[in-house]
Amino acid sequence: MIVEIGHYALALALGVSVIQTVVPFWGVFRQDRTLASVGSSAALVSFALVALSFAALVTSYVRSDFSVGNVVANSHSAQPLIYKFTSVWGNHEGSMLLWVLILTLFGALVALSRRSLPPRLRAGALAAQGLVAVAFLAFTLFTSNPFQRLSPVPAEGQDLNPILQDLGLAIHPPLLYIGYVGFSITYAFAVAALIDGRIDAMWARAVRPWTLLAWTFLTLGIAMGSYWAYYELGWGGWWFWDPVENASFMPWLAGTALIHSTVVMEKRDALKVWTILLAILTFSLSLLGTFIVRSGVLTSVHSFATDPARGLFILFILIFFVGGSLALFAWRAPLLRQGGLFAPVSRESALVVNNVFLATACATVFVGTLYPLLLEMVTGDKISVGPPFYNATFVPVMVPLLLLLPIGQSLAWKRGDLLGAAQRNAFAFGVAVLAALALLSFTRGGPVLAPLGVGLGVFLVLGAGFDLAERIVTRASGWRAMLSRARGLPRSAWGTALAHAGVGLSIIGIAAQAWSSEAITVLKPGERLTSGRYTITLEGMSPRTGPNFRAEIARFQVFSGDRELAPIEASKRIYTARAMPTTEAGIRTDGLSQAYVSLGEAQDGGVAVRLYDKPLILLIWIGSLVMALGGGLSLTDRRFRLAAPKRAAPAAAVQPAE
Amino acid sequence: MTLAQPTRPLPAKRRLTRKQRRLTLIAAAGAVLFLAAGLVLFAMRDTIVFFYGPTEIAEKGVQPGTRMRLGGLVEAGSVQRNGGQRISFSVTDGKTSIKVGYDGLLPDLFREGQGVVTEGVFEGAGRFKADSVLAKHDETYMPREVADALKKQGHWQAGGSGSPAAAPAKP
Amino acid sequence: MMIWAIFAAMTGAAVFALLWPLSRGRAQGFADAADARSLYRSQLKEIDRDLARKLIGDEEAQAARTEAARRLLRAAGDEADPTGETEPSLRRRRASSALMLSIVPLLALLIYGLYGSPGQPDQPLAARLEKAGPQQDFAIVLARMEAHLAANPGDAKGWALLAPIYLRQGRYDEAAKAFAAAVRAGKPDAELYAGLGEARIMETGGIVTAAAREALAEAVKLDPKSPRARYYLALAKEQDGDGEGAQAALAQLLAEAPADADWSGAVRARLERMQADAGRKAVAALPEAERQQAIKGMVDGLAERLSTGGGSLPEWSRLIRARTVLGDKPAALQAVKTARERLADDKAALAAIDALADELALKEAAP
Repeated sequence: MIVEIGHYALALALGVSVIQTVVPFWGVFRQDRTLASVGSSAALVSFALVALSFAALVTSYVRSDFSVGNVVANSHSAQPLIYKFTSVWGNHEGSMLLWVLILTLFGALVALSRRSLPPRLRAGALAAQGLVAVAFLAFTLFTSNPFQRLSPVPAEGQDLNPILQDLGLAIHPPLLYIGYVGFSITYAFAVAALIDGRIDAMWARAVRPWTLLAWTFLTLGIAMGSYWAYYELGWGGWWFWDPVENASFMPWLAGTALIHSTVVMEKRDALKVWTILLAILTFSLSLLGTFIVRSGVLTSVHSFATDPARGLFILFILIFFVGGSLALFAWRAPLLRQGGLFAPVSRESALVVNNVFLATACATVFVGTLYPLLLEMVTGDKISVGPPFYNATFVPVMVPLLLLLPIGQSLAWKRGDLLGAAQRNAFAFGVAVLAALALLSFTRGGPVLAPLGVGLGVFLVLGAGFDLAERIVTRASGWRAMLSRARGLPRSAWGTALAHAGVGLSIIGIAAQAWSSEAITVLKPGERLTSGRYTITLEGMSPRTGPNFRAEIARFQVFSGDRELAPIEASKRIYTARAMPTTEAGIRTDGLSQAYVSLGEAQDGGVAVRLYDKPLILLIWIGSLVMALGGGLSLTDRRFRLAAPKRAAPAAAVQPAE
Repeated sequence: MTLAQPTRPLPAKRRLTRKQRRLTLIAAAGAVLFLAAGLVLFAMRDTIVFFYGPTEIAEKGVQPGTRMRLGGLVEAGSVQRNGGQRISFSVTDGKTSIKVGYDGLLPDLFREGQGVVTEGVFEGAGRFKADSVLAKHDETYMPREVADALKKQGHWQAGGSGSPAAAPAKP
Repeated sequence: MMIWAIFAAMTGAAVFALLWPLSRGRAQGFADAADARSLYRSQLKEIDRDLARKLIGDEEAQAARTEAARRLLRAAGDEADPTGETEPSLRRRRASSALMLSIVPLLALLIYGLYGSPGQPDQPLAARLEKAGPQQDFAIVLARMEAHLAANPGDAKGWALLAPIYLRQGRYDEAAKAFAAAVRAGKPDAELYAGLGEARIMETGGIVTAAAREALAEAVKLDPKSPRARYYLALAKEQDGDGEGAQAALAQLLAEAPADADWSGAVRARLERMQADAGRKAVAALPEAERQQAIKGMVDGLAERLSTGGGSLPEWSRLIRARTVLGDKPAALQAVKTARERLADDKAALAAIDALADELALKEAAP
């Protein structure tokens, strides 16, 4: 009965979402606040229903209810409980339900944030968001229903794809979806503003926390996915420029631009039209990502098993929301009141430069991702666009942006002093150059670009640090005064500095990968293999039985020079239900670096072993975490949790408006 | 409240008209975009890799030394291990097969009779030197290119392996 | 019924929650200007605060204040008129309520009706495993048996029980393995050998392989009367080209069959088909004129038999087809008519006959 209640709740949620769209829109058009307020209750009801539905599916998974087709196809009674839980979103249907759950959760949050949002904007946004919910609820119910029942009921499930049975992947999709779907809110706000024909700093202030929230989670989701690919796929790579990765990276780039442009809008009442467009584009790219992942039009290592009906449905959703909002934009944007002026050298101009570069970088990724599809449609040729393409396009666009970042960061609003900003950053730049030169001479004969990359990263980290220091440290005052200044700095300033430093840390980690090394050979027990700084000795192999797999485990001693690190276990697993093998890499963390061992096939009494030395690789993800932390910190800025704006007492003289 | 502050005019030399500023902005953005477009076009020339099935290599007259992706089925009984990590196998689409040499670890789901995509250099005379063999996440998933290549040679049975859904129409 | 009550309660709660804000208070317009004013006021306060903490300079603060003040003035100018409780607003509320009361339940019921299975209870694995006795569910029993046999592969009785189940489910290779295991582990038993033979035949899609033959021979050796083994051995003969031998074997099998044997029907059908095939082959060998004659004779024979009563749908269909092919349209129409009368109780059969008549264009002459 629980299953059916979940199913019915989902169908009911569709009806409620229709109301969430129709009635508040009407209210906004007719200036009727009562109708508009229906949006809030509808959003809350629809979230409650979808949550009920999701809980029902989770219950079916946890109880191994094999009368539900989705549970049979993606679960096994012998799975550890945690994976029964996460199997819910380890497949297309369940992950769609999670998608919708997060979508309605955001709707509910908007409905609840009544204090910081002008009611008309909230009503319009909830209506637009309701429409997105209608589309995705219909998609889930009609093409990807997770509640399909089976009869007769099988005795055992087919298990979840083994490489998804992993903690990293358990939390990767929810994080990523919160990011993707969070941008639906900014999209909804943009649509509401266009319909309303009014947009101002209020709008920017209302949108900024949602953008920050979505961006923070998208950052975490992408980082998590990257780390998962790194340790689970066993090839030691952490980013493949795979279409599905790009699908999450494009909204991230656009969202990063959006965060910066909303600041300009809030502070200077400028860049309005561009910001609206960016808000629309960001969510459009999220939808495009969904389309790419679910339809299978692009070959990717991810690819769900596909179904033409689904691809078509999503394509329709994509065209409707992207095309519809862009048409709305073309129609209404010229009516928006133009924003203010600003000087060429100022913080706002620097942020425009940021936007131009980020948008361009996003465009290169877009081209690289979709060009193969276009070419295949036109000429029938199949091509793949890999890392060399992005190294030649994306990287040259990002480098100037990152070089300018610390300078732009230290420019003042309205009228900046370029020379002063350059001077303020001269020290950081000098240190960075020295670091690069030192590395260059130290690693003579090695890759040339790597020290430069590390130098760039150092520049970013120091630049962010000095910028903060500049605002805290003054010559005259003592530490007490400084402390109070530090406390007086808005949290968003701390957040900005942290996020920028995080970018720098990631850049250092990425650049350092040029020094990574790899060795591969067949090892017999007692034999050694050296790669870079690390040497491993195969101690022996032994079998082990897990709950739903059998494994062959190889144990290695690890040395860095003469220093012995804790041993590594790497293994090959066979998951019994699908008879599918997986490789579990063995990783030993050594400071910020890692020794990474992955196993090949057993042969001639030994086993094929690949050993990587991955210098400073952890910085890539630590940097991402720091970025996300910066986003989170900005989110707690008091401006975003303003006390309720005092509403004027109901006007005494009530006049009929129509 | 300090609402009555008069706005001070900006110094005259820095005052550009709204239109001029907008134009400057657009020109700057245009320049960046133009540069990026140049980079993209330049990169397109030598960083993209074509995908061919074994039969297409002959049909399209692929020159030896070309970097490409080769996809098809691993021919049953063709996998040979030549000591160490050197492996050779044949990739076939049922009509033509190409002998692939590879030095490295094979992905977990590499099996005889299964679909595979390799990237490397075509050496001519039906030989291919692969530097990567691509893995799949799922054993039921068939890379779409491989499915298409096999379908062209009439070797595709629908069902079981993921169907080449929503494949764009081919001319 | 319980579940529908729950659905009704859910729908009611949802619609009620939607209606709630409509019932609250009087109609109001939006007070955007007031919201905007408070935003800019707080911005001004923020500037003062920053100035007090010396986070910004005097000049910067002055400029920022000016701008915020300018925007505040503009926002004040935008002041919208609040809307009062009016006739149109009441009408809108009623229309919205009607929309909620109709769309929400209708859409939910429509979609759930399309895809839902209200009658199917939850079947969590633990509950299924606990259940014992006759209401135990079959897949679980099977799974348990498999688990038991995986642990005790020497349990001949278990294998003997499991093998026919596999056979019935069409899992022929597993059936063959199970029969083989049963034979290996237990006493020699004709029925098991015959089953093994059958499974092997099914596995290869009906071809009697040498391995199947071996098993069948073993079965006959243990029990010369084993009908299953004898039946399949007859098929083997037919496959070898010895049609007469096969027919003779089946005829003998039928003759010796006990009156209540449930398999005799199947054997008889197979025998008749063999005879028909043999007849056709013989007829095909005749010269043209004689062949027509022979065919007509056979069709007449069929008509004769059917006219005396009984006759199944396939037989009638065969007769109608044969008459049409032979060009004897009136006879074909007659056959359609008789068939419709005879099969009047069976709607599906009637439909099939009509469809056939359509296909053969026998309709226009119908009354």
